[in-house]
Amino acid sequence: MIWTRRLVQIAVLALFLVLLAANRPTTGAGPAGPVELFFDLDPLVLAGTWLAARSTADLSLLALVTVLITLVLGRVFCGWFCPLGTLHNAVGSLRRYWRRPTAAREGFRGWQRAKYVAVIALLVMALGGVHWLGVLDPFSLLYRSLALCLVPAADLAVSAAANAVYLGNPQLGAWQLRDLTEPVYRWWQDHVAGTELRVFLGSGVILLVFLGALVLNFARQRFWCRYVCPLGGLLGLIARRPWLRLVSDPAACNHCRACTLSCPAAAQPEQPDRWLATECFGCWNCVAACKQQGLDFRWVPPWRRTSAGTVDLKKRRVLAAIAGGIGAIALMRITPAAHGKTYNPVLIRPPGALPEQDFLRRCVQCGLCMQACPTGGLQPTWHEAGLAGVWTPRLVPAIGFCEYECHACGQVCPTGAIAPVALADKKKIKIGLAVIDTTRCLPYAYGRECIVCEEHCPVPDKAITFELRESRGRDGSVKILKFPRVDPDRCTGCGICETKCPFNDRAAIVVTSAGESRHPANQPLLGAAMFGPPAGDEWP
Amino acid sequence: MGERVAEIFEPAPGERLAPAAACLDNRPATALVFMGMNAAAPGTCRRRRPRRRLRRSIMPCPGRRKFLRTTTLAGAGLLIAPPLHLPRFAFAQPDTGPLAIAVARWNPAALVSADLAAVAARLTEAAIADLGGMGRFVSKGDVVWVKPNIGWNRRPELAATTNPDVVGTLVRLCFAAGAKTVKVGDNPCHPARQAYSTSGIAAAAEAQGAQIVYLDEKRYREVDLGGERLKSWPVYAEILEADLVINVPIVKHHGLSDLTLALKNYMGVIGGQRGAWHQHLDECLADITAFMRPRLCVLDAVRVLTAHGPQGGNPEDVKLLGAVAAGTDIVGLDALGATLMGRDPAAMSTLKLAAARGLGTLDFRSLPLAERTLS
Repeated sequence: MIWTRRLVQIAVLALFLVLLAANRPTTGAGPAGPVELFFDLDPLVLAGTWLAARSTADLSLLALVTVLITLVLGRVFCGWFCPLGTLHNAVGSLRRYWRRPTAAREGFRGWQRAKYVAVIALLVMALGGVHWLGVLDPFSLLYRSLALCLVPAADLAVSAAANAVYLGNPQLGAWQLRDLTEPVYRWWQDHVAGTELRVFLGSGVILLVFLGALVLNFARQRFWCRYVCPLGGLLGLIARRPWLRLVSDPAACNHCRACTLSCPAAAQPEQPDRWLATECFGCWNCVAACKQQGLDFRWVPPWRRTSAGTVDLKKRRVLAAIAGGIGAIALMRITPAAHGKTYNPVLIRPPGALPEQDFLRRCVQCGLCMQACPTGGLQPTWHEAGLAGVWTPRLVPAIGFCEYECHACGQVCPTGAIAPVALADKKKIKIGLAVIDTTRCLPYAYGRECIVCEEHCPVPDKAITFELRESRGRDGSVKILKFPRVDPDRCTGCGICETKCPFNDRAAIVVTSAGESRHPANQPLLGAAMFGPPAGDEWP
Repeated sequence: MGERVAEIFEPAPGERLAPAAACLDNRPATALVFMGMNAAAPGTCRRRRPRRRLRRSIMPCPGRRKFLRTTTLAGAGLLIAPPLHLPRFAFAQPDTGPLAIAVARWNPAALVSADLAAVAARLTEAAIADLGGMGRFVSKGDVVWVKPNIGWNRRPELAATTNPDVVGTLVRLCFAAGAKTVKVGDNPCHPARQAYSTSGIAAAAEAQGAQIVYLDEKRYREVDLGGERLKSWPVYAEILEADLVINVPIVKHHGLSDLTLALKNYMGVIGGQRGAWHQHLDECLADITAFMRPRLCVLDAVRVLTAHGPQGGNPEDVKLLGAVAAGTDIVGLDALGATLMGRDPAAMSTLKLAAARGLGTLDFRSLPLAERTLS
């Protein structure tokens, strides 16, 4: 049974990685396949989105399957399926080489209630319209860490090695080492990474959180799952009276505590009356560890009370969790930006993103959109969107632009924070507005020819046009130069002008969030604001 | 030296009459000229002359003595000149030497209803065949880099990228001429994978067995361009390692240089801060072209973009021209492209500067040129 479980765990982790690799920028139509599957199966995402936004994405109802399984079998989701749990298992299995497990350290601790407090507080926050589910949700945490840190790091390693071999070209007679490495590198680029190396702002912090969660396994087996994980907490609340229960034979027990030492969840398997259904991962370790064959999982009708104690949350803790949640709402909502007093010019949301407050009610900070963005321009925010918006996506045109023929981000978003708009509609959405810095722009400031922004402007009839004017050189000579100018009616704020501007430190044309379609109040120009080309004009 | 050769070739009247007359009709055209020299003996000349149209078209038969002297000297020159000069010498004879430019056009009346994929393929085949066939440029075992314009993530119908069927046909012809590997790649402005696939070039080239190369930013090599504006610049090393680079631009409008043609297409082999080139575009293009030493360029004018270039996006800016031109003279070819677009090549600063630098001939009509209309 243990090996069956391990195989299932490995298979699910492999599926997670395959879906991760499938979410590569390919054609711009979005990846083929259900890359957001794990988020659809996540009841925390379902509950949070439903509480916060009063609606859900269609497929996220799959999470009800997880709820059903948990009602019947307990938290097997944590023990058998969760890919982050599998990684914790793997790291935790190294622990015994470092420190001898003792019953005292492996036993149940009151602090394991913290995850219930966390999930209650998070759901209260969601009800209040801001949530931090994505910061702590295991799938978000894992996906974000892999997509934004570990895959780029692996890509850097692979490409650096392949390029070193390619450029150095070591050879033995007619045989070249690059003949061996190039196909591997090509496969890697075609199937795992992309053509260009992806780099993300603040990925170090994301990585530290991830590594911290893994390292904590050395303090306690599956520390994250026992103490922190809000999804584990939610499933624990659901699994108070499962059908499948651990049943022990008191006569057989010789109090050797082998089961306790083997239990990753501290579910007290050694105490017949105190087994904690809400903590148990159903991993079968204890059953296998018991040399007396005194433990087994049996079907018990759900109407029978568990003989065991459940984790008693106590009223005051629940109240404290609710109060904490309300406090957090206040902390995150009482900001100028949350009430339309300010708009951060660098907070350029991807096309199709809902108005900021609705967006924050849905975004689970998973990183799918950032990974799918073909130019690498979608980056995790850090402080730009306030505390509530940490690790949500924003476009950083200095790094990459919003490709005109692409709507991948909306296609992969698991919660609809970025609406899955059709490509034709996406082309009409303004995510910002370009503004020319005439103190830097080459024709204005230096009297030199440059048409780079106009050339790259993807709008069919050009949102950047030229004004032909005379420019006088220091010797008095006069030449006609093309001075670029932004047409606010046509500019979509895609940012390619900023990306391609010859100034790499601070572009001479920059996009700010002004004029974004999603915010009627963030409109500096009368009539330029809303969707699409000027009246009567239809683009192909 | 000239004297000695002349002596050898100076025939004693009547001496070589019989053998020359006997094999006259089977000789190839160039041999015919020399044979004509011998055949100019009394008796045979008059009888044979009406059949020798070719000879007459090349040189109007002047006085016999003068004719003998010039042809003998010409033959002597041919022998004395080092082999490198041979092609150029032959070049001066439009009927016999290799062409500099070959244009294939589709009958405009039949263009609207035609299958454009087949049109593009046949035009490309015809242009290359008229230019002397791919075997003129590709030797057995060669590595060929086909450099289309894949600058943008745009469908082929929008004429922002080279026609995929032109590219595919060139790949096929390269393999038929004995190429070992054909690579297709460009440094696009848009994300490479999107541009390669949307433009249809990846599929068309792969279908013919070409290797699609997405340029890797680490694999540019800083090279000494030795130009007048640019001393050194990163150029993609793998392109430089190829035995032949075929430059395959699409004819389209451009915001700065008015048109973008073969010269401008070389901006796809370089890396670095390309945007800065626009400050001195003409000189930079001349520098890179001189460095790349173009041997074969193929101009795709099946669909052309007439406005809002180089990226376009509006089908109304696309015009069906139905022409493909291949050539060895890049400036002449671009001048021809400009003419196809209704521009005066002499008014285009990029072409003027390139011609002044000796990169080619602005007056393409002075070059040995073949034109063919298909339907």
